[in-house]
Amino acid sequence: MSIDLPSSLPRESVLSLILALADDELMLGHRDSEWTGHSPILEEDIAFSNIAQDELGHSLVWYSLYEQLTGKSPDAMAFERSWSEFACCHFVTYPKGDFGYTVVRQYLFDEAEQARLAAFEQSTLQSLREISGKLIREEAYHLLHSKGLVERLGDATEESHRHMQAGVDQAFPQALGMFEKLEGEDGLIEKGVFPGNDALKREWLDRVVPMLTSAKLTVPASQTNGSHIVDIKPDDGGRKKSHTQHLKQLVDDLQQVYRIAPKAKW
Amino acid sequence: MTDTQWDTYEVFHQTKKGDAHIHVGSVHAPDPQMALQMARDQFARRLKCVSIWVVNSKDVTATDYQDDDFFAQITDKSYRDPKAFEAPDKESPDEH
Repeated sequence: MSIDLPSSLPRESVLSLILALADDELMLGHRDSEWTGHSPILEEDIAFSNIAQDELGHSLVWYSLYEQLTGKSPDAMAFERSWSEFACCHFVTYPKGDFGYTVVRQYLFDEAEQARLAAFEQSTLQSLREISGKLIREEAYHLLHSKGLVERLGDATEESHRHMQAGVDQAFPQALGMFEKLEGEDGLIEKGVFPGNDALKREWLDRVVPMLTSAKLTVPASQTNGSHIVDIKPDDGGRKKSHTQHLKQLVDDLQQVYRIAPKAKW
Repeated sequence: MTDTQWDTYEVFHQTKKGDAHIHVGSVHAPDPQMALQMARDQFARRLKCVSIWVVNSKDVTATDYQDDDFFAQITDKSYRDPKAFEAPDKESPDEH
């Protein structure tokens, strides 16, 4: 099935938005899956593997929409592109680190998902509205889980606090890279496709700063006239397809089996 | 060294509103809310489920397997069994 975009919308910009969403989900899903068999306890292993599979499933949803617009299959997008062709932010590509870092990263990502999916539900683009309405239900559960862990581990013991604070220090500048401006973003804002990454970042800060602070974690943000200000350099570049070696390693892993037998039917 | 082992919670799972909650296993968790989340992932992902209960295992009072007499039937009590009646199917009360 293929669908046509309304001709009033800037096609290339819509495609780059969808691809950024799909690539983020794919890479984070893969990094999350690296915990399978290695989580601190069995129950968390299963819960976190479930989240990993959900994120991969969400990437498939976005790649399928991309396919309907371009004819390029999800397999081709995930397994046949070079690492320098992905549009994910750096944040989702970094090694899984310790469990503290992983929990903080997942939490920061889940809050961003809530902000962006809620915004997409108001989009002028019908397919974006429909997909977001579905995904947000599953993402809400991810948030419940990661937020629950942050709340508890933030000040459970001196050791847990130390790991979580180190996670925040490392992940926060990286997470800002989720909101790097897309090419043609102004056109998308103008046409009401989405409110833009600056607006999403403000919404995200309003969610994460009070929450992390209440979990006794120090956040590199200050407050002016009711809005949160961060004056650290965001870890940008991913949306412009400028990546680190970590993505290369990830993509090598991800595509290894596919490349052995590209025409295999599974 | 402090004990870092989490408590266990017994998990009861209900497949249809109105049915009994059935014991399906247990999970480790730091508190009841996390226990519900863990139980969801262990037991409610593949089975149809409308409700879960979790109960801290410490709160379950149980009989002792050694205490045979507790369940012993010494004399013939078969006359007490309601054998003459057909019990209606409790599974689907709506159909009656």
